Amino acid sequence: MSSLTLERQIRPIYDALDSGSHKSALVTCNKLLKKHPKNDHLKALKALALTRAQKFEEAIVLCEEVLATKPTDDGIINALMHALRHLGRFADLVKLFEDAFKQQPDNDEFGRQAFFANVRAGNWKAAQLLANKLNKQFRNDRYVFWGITCTFLQANDPLTAPEMRDILLKLAHRLITACWKQVEVHPDRLYLHTSILQQLGLYEDARELLGTESGRFFCARNLSCDHLRREIMKAGGWQMEEGGIAEQRIVEKRDRNWLEFVSILDATFLPSTLHQSNLPDLAQRVAKTRDLFLKVSEQDGSHDRTAQLALMELEKLSVVHEVPSEPSRLLNLLKHYFEVLGDKAACYEDLRSYIDLGSEELHDWITLIEKTTHTPSSGIALRRSINAHKLLRYVLSATQLTVDQEGIRATDLVREYFEALPLGKDLPKLELQPADDLAILAAQVYVNMFVLDNAMAHLHNAVVILEYASKKSPQSYQIHLELVRIYRLLGAPQLALDHYRLLNVKQVQNDTMSYFILSRATNFSLAASGDLAYVSECLESSHIYFSNSQETSEFIVKSFNMEKYSQIHELVVFEERLDNSLQRDLVKIEHVRLRISHEPVSSELVDMELIELKFIFDRLHHDNRDLEVLPNYQPRGQPSFLSQTTLFGKEPAGGWLSIFLKIYIKVLSGASDLDLSVEDDKLLVGDRPRQSYNPDAKKPLMERLAVQSADELSELTEDEVALFHYVTDLTNWLDPFHNFLRPRGEATKLPPKNGHSSHDGASADGHGRKPDDAPHISEPPDSILSYFKNAYAKFTRAVTASRPIYEILHIATLAQEALLLFSICTKRFKDASIVRIHKLGMLVQHIKTLRASAIDAVRDIGTQLIKISELEGTSDKRKQFVENCIALQTHAEITHEYVLDVGKKLTESQRKVMEGVGRGIERVCKTPM
Amino acid sequence: MSIIRPFRADDLFRFNNINLNIWTETYGLGFYFNYLSRWPDMCCAAQHPNGRLMGYVLGKAEGSPHDFHGHVTALSVAPEYRRLSLARILMNFLETASDDVYGGLFVDLYVRCTNSIAIDLYEGLGYSVYRRVREYYGSLGLGPGGKDEEDAFDMRKPMSKDMYRRSVRPNGRDVIVSAHDVS
Ligand SMILES: CC(C)(COP(=O)(O)OP(=O)(O)OC[C@H]1O[C@@H](n2cnc3c(N)ncnc32)[C@H](O)[C@@H]1OP(=O)(O)O)[C@@H](O)C(=O)NCCC(=O)NCCS
Repeated sequence: MSSLTLERQIRPIYDALDSGSHKSALVTCNKLLKKHPKNDHLKALKALALTRAQKFEEAIVLCEEVLATKPTDDGIINALMHALRHLGRFADLVKLFEDAFKQQPDNDEFGRQAFFANVRAGNWKAAQLLANKLNKQFRNDRYVFWGITCTFLQANDPLTAPEMRDILLKLAHRLITACWKQVEVHPDRLYLHTSILQQLGLYEDARELLGTESGRFFCARNLSCDHLRREIMKAGGWQMEEGGIAEQRIVEKRDRNWLEFVSILDATFLPSTLHQSNLPDLAQRVAKTRDLFLKVSEQDGSHDRTAQLALMELEKLSVVHEVPSEPSRLLNLLKHYFEVLGDKAACYEDLRSYIDLGSEELHDWITLIEKTTHTPSSGIALRRSINAHKLLRYVLSATQLTVDQEGIRATDLVREYFEALPLGKDLPKLELQPADDLAILAAQVYVNMFVLDNAMAHLHNAVVILEYASKKSPQSYQIHLELVRIYRLLGAPQLALDHYRLLNVKQVQNDTMSYFILSRATNFSLAASGDLAYVSECLESSHIYFSNSQETSEFIVKSFNMEKYSQIHELVVFEERLDNSLQRDLVKIEHVRLRISHEPVSSELVDMELIELKFIFDRLHHDNRDLEVLPNYQPRGQPSFLSQTTLFGKEPAGGWLSIFLKIYIKVLSGASDLDLSVEDDKLLVGDRPRQSYNPDAKKPLMERLAVQSADELSELTEDEVALFHYVTDLTNWLDPFHNFLRPRGEATKLPPKNGHSSHDGASADGHGRKPDDAPHISEPPDSILSYFKNAYAKFTRAVTASRPIYEILHIATLAQEALLLFSICTKRFKDASIVRIHKLGMLVQHIKTLRASAIDAVRDIGTQLIKISELEGTSDKRKQFVENCIALQTHAEITHEYVLDVGKKLTESQRKVMEGVGRGIERVCKTPM
Repeated sequence: MSIIRPFRADDLFRFNNINLNIWTETYGLGFYFNYLSRWPDMCCAAQHPNGRLMGYVLGKAEGSPHDFHGHVTALSVAPEYRRLSLARILMNFLETASDDVYGGLFVDLYVRCTNSIAIDLYEGLGYSVYRRVREYYGSLGLGPGGKDEEDAFDMRKPMSKDMYRRSVRPNGRDVIVSAHDVS
C-alpha cells in the first residue's frame, strides 16, 4: 500500500481523537497496525488513544517503543508529545525533543520544543544550555533572555546549593549587562534585569537602571516594575527620596495607593543612623508629615479614607518610636473616622488595629460608640449600628464575658436583625442582605457562650438564627461557613456538608477551603457502611492537583513565549506550592483512612498507597489553607471564632500529617512485599513528581519513622496519640516476622504496572531462608490488647457522661481504624503454608487471641452506638431542642414549626451519623480478616 | 487604605472572600494564568494593609488593528470592602493601561443585564451599552430572572484615541445580537 493511502486511512484516527471518541480511534489503530505492524506513526497514535482511555500502562510501553526510534517526523512527534504530556512523562518529553533536535540541528522548532520540555520539567540548567544553543544557531534576543531567565530560576531553585546561588546570579548579571545595550527594552526585560540586580544587592545599579529614560517610562506604566522600584528604594536606603516622590504622587496626582503613604511614613521614621544629611529631628518630621496627611484628609472627606488611616498609623508609629504625642490624638482620629466613615463595611477592619488606647481614652471611645443608635431606619444607620456592635465587642474585657451578659448581647443582635430585615426586602434574591452581619455576629456570641459553659443549647440557638439568615441571604458564604463549623461541633456532618456544597467551592478553592469539611473527615464518614459522600468529596477536592501538574507548566512555557518574565518565577512558585500542598496530603491521608474502611485491602492497594505515602513523607509542605476567610468578631485577647469551633481545639497540620503518615507507612510497609530501599520512580505512571526541598528527607526512612517530636504529637488528640503508640507497638512486634518473610532478591521485583501482584506465589522457600532462622516468637506487648480495652472503657464513659457526639464518634472511629490496621498488619500470617514451614503457629495463635478480643471490644462499641443513636432523632430530643431555643421564638418570624424543623433535621442528622458509624463498625467486625 | 498592586499567581490562594459570590466565577488555573502570561499589566489587585485581598480586575488587550481595545474580563470587590471606590480605582487602572500602554480605541466589558449595581457603576464611569447579547451567560439556574439573567450588555467607553467617539452609540440597548456573533 502506498504511503498516500495510509495517510488517508490515518485521517479518521485524528478525527476520532479530536471528537473524543478514543474507543473508535483505538479500533482503527489496531486494524491498521495489523497491516503495518512496524508503523511508528500508528503506534504513537495508539499510545495517545490509550492515554485518553486511561490505559496508562499499555500506553507507556508503546511510547517507550516509539521513543527509542528517535523520531523526527512531525506527525509522530506530535502524537507522542501529547501522549507523554498527558502521562506526565516530562523526562521522556525532554528526550524526545532533544533527540530530534540533535538529528536536525537546523530545525528551530525542535530546538524550542526541547527547551520547553526542559522548562516543563524544571530542568533550568539544561534549558539554559539549550537557550544558548538556540541563540548561537538562530540569533534571536529572546533566546538570550530565555537563557538568563533560566539561570535566574536555577539560582532561586530551593534545590540549588546555597554556594551556587551567587555564582548563578552573577552569571545572569554578566549575561544581561553584556546584551542590554543592543536589545530592545520592554517592561518584562527591565523587570528581569532589576530582579537580578536586586538579588545581588546591587541597589545602586538597579536605581540607575530604573532611572534611565526607559526605566522611568516603564515604572510609570507598569505596576510590577514600579513595585520592584519601591523595594529597591527601600533596600538601598533611599527612603527620603522615595518619600518625596510619594508626596508628589499624593498631592499632584491624587494617588491614594496606601503604598505611597507608607513611603512617607518610612521616610519620617527613618533611623537617624541612615540619614545622609542633618535632617530636622524626628518630632519635627512627624509634625510635618502630620500636616501633610491632615491636609489630604480634609480634602478627601468621606470620599477616601486613606489619609485618615495614615494619620492613625503615624500616631501608632510615634508611640513605637517614642515620639512624644498627645494621647488624645489617636482617640480623636478614631472618633473622626467613625463619624465620617462609620457607615462603611470596612470600618471595623480598618480601625481594629488602631484601638490601642489608654484606659481613659478607651472609656471615652466606648462612650462615643455606645451612643450609636441601633434603630435600623436606613441602610446607613444599619451599617453604623453593625460597626458599633463589632467595635464594642472588640474591646470587651474578660469580666464582661459571662454567659448572662453574652446572652443579653445575643438577644439584642437577634432583635435588631429582625428589625433590620425589611431594609433588604426588595433586593433581588442574589444580593446579600444588609442585615446579615447581625446574624453572623449573634452566632459568634452564641458560640462564645458555648465555650464558656459547654451547653449545646447555645449552638442550637446559633443554628436556628443562621439557618433563617441563610434562607434570607442564600449567597452569604459567611453564614454557610459558620453553619459548617457549628454543625460539625454538633455532630451533624451531613448538614455541614450540605452547607459546604452550597458554596460551590471550585478549582483552586478546593485547596484553600476544603479543610472546612475534610479536616478529620474520618471522624464523621459513613464509608464503612457504604455512604461514600465524604470519600467522593476527598476525590473531588483533589482534582485540582492534577490540573496543576497538567496546566501550570504550560503557562510557564507560555510566559517564556510571550516574554512575560515578571510572571515566570511566580508561576513556578505557585506550581510548587500547590503541588506540595499540606491540605492535599491531609486529604490524601483521610482518603486512605476511609478507603480501608470500605474497600477490601488487596496487596495492590497496600503497595500503591505505600509508595504514594512514602513519597508524601519526603515532601516539604506548604500550608495554603485560607484561615482568614471567615471573619472573627470575638473580643481581643480571646480565641478566634475559628479556633473556638475547631474540633478538639486542634486543627491538623504538618505535625498531625507526619504522625499519620508514620502510622500508615509503618503498617503498610509491614504488609507489603516491596523493598522500601528500592527507588520507586518506576512505580509511578508519570515522572516522579519534582522532589520538594526537604533536608530531612535525606535521612534513612526507617530512622525517620522511628522518631516523633512533641510538637508533632501536640497536634493530635489524646485518642490519636493512643492509636499512634498502639501502631508503633504492634509493628515493632510484627516487623521482624514481616522482614523475615518478605521475599528477597529477585522476588522483590516491583509489581507489574497492570497491578497484578506476585505476592501470592511468593512461597517461603527458594529465598535462601531456613525455617530455623525465623525470629524468636515473643508475647505480644500488653499495650495492644489494652488499647482496645481502653478505647472501649473510654467510649462507655463518654456515652454515660453524654459527651458531645463528635467526641464519642472520635473514640469509635479510631477504634475501628485500629482494628482495620491490625488486620492489614497480620494479613501475611494467614497463609497456612508459610506458617507451617516457618513454625509460626505460636505467633498465629497470639494474633488470633488478640483479634478476637479486639473485635469484641470494637463490636460492642458499634452495637452501643446503634443503640444510643435510637435516642437521637426522637420527639423528646426535638422537644428539647425547641425548648433550648424558646427565647428566639419571641420573634414572629421564628415560629415554633420553624424551630421544630431545624431541630428535626439536626437530630436526624445526628442520629444518622451515629447509626451509620455503628453499622459500619458492625460490618467491619463481621468482614473476614 | 488599599494597596494597589499587580495581581499575582499566588493571589489564587487568597481570593475566596472575593470569589465566593454569585456574580464572580472561579475559573480553572489556566484561565488566570493565560491572563498573567499575556497581559500581566492588565491585571491588578487591591489589598488591605492587614494582608487580606479586597478586590481585583483582570483584563486584556485584543482586536484587529482598526478596533484594538482593552477588555475587562473580571472585576470584583469583596462585600466587606465595597463602596470604598475600589471598583473605580481598578477600572481606572485598566483604562489607563488600555489607553497608555496598548493605545486601545475603547474599553469594553460584558455584564449580566440583571446586575444593576454593576451597570450603574459602569455608567457612572462613562460606559454605555453598545449592544445586548442574547444568552451570553449560562443560566444561573436561580429562577425568575429569565432572559435578563442570561443576556449580557456589551458596554463600552471610548479612550483618547477615539476622539470622535466612534466606538459607542446612543441606542445600544436596542441593538440585539446573539452570542455567537460576538465570540
Ligand atoms: C460592582 C462592584 C465591583 C462595585 O465595587 P465597589 O468597589 O463597591 O464600587 P465603588 O465603591 O468603586 O463604587 C463606584 C460607584 O458605583 C456605584 N455603586 C457601587 N455599588 C453600588 C451599590 N451597591 N448601590 C448603588 N450604587 C453603587 C456608586 O455610584 C459608586 O460611587 P459612590 O460610592 O461614590 O456613590 C462590586 O459590587 C462587586 O464586586 N460586585 C460583584 C461582582 C460583579 O458584579 N462584578 C461585575 C461583573 S461585570
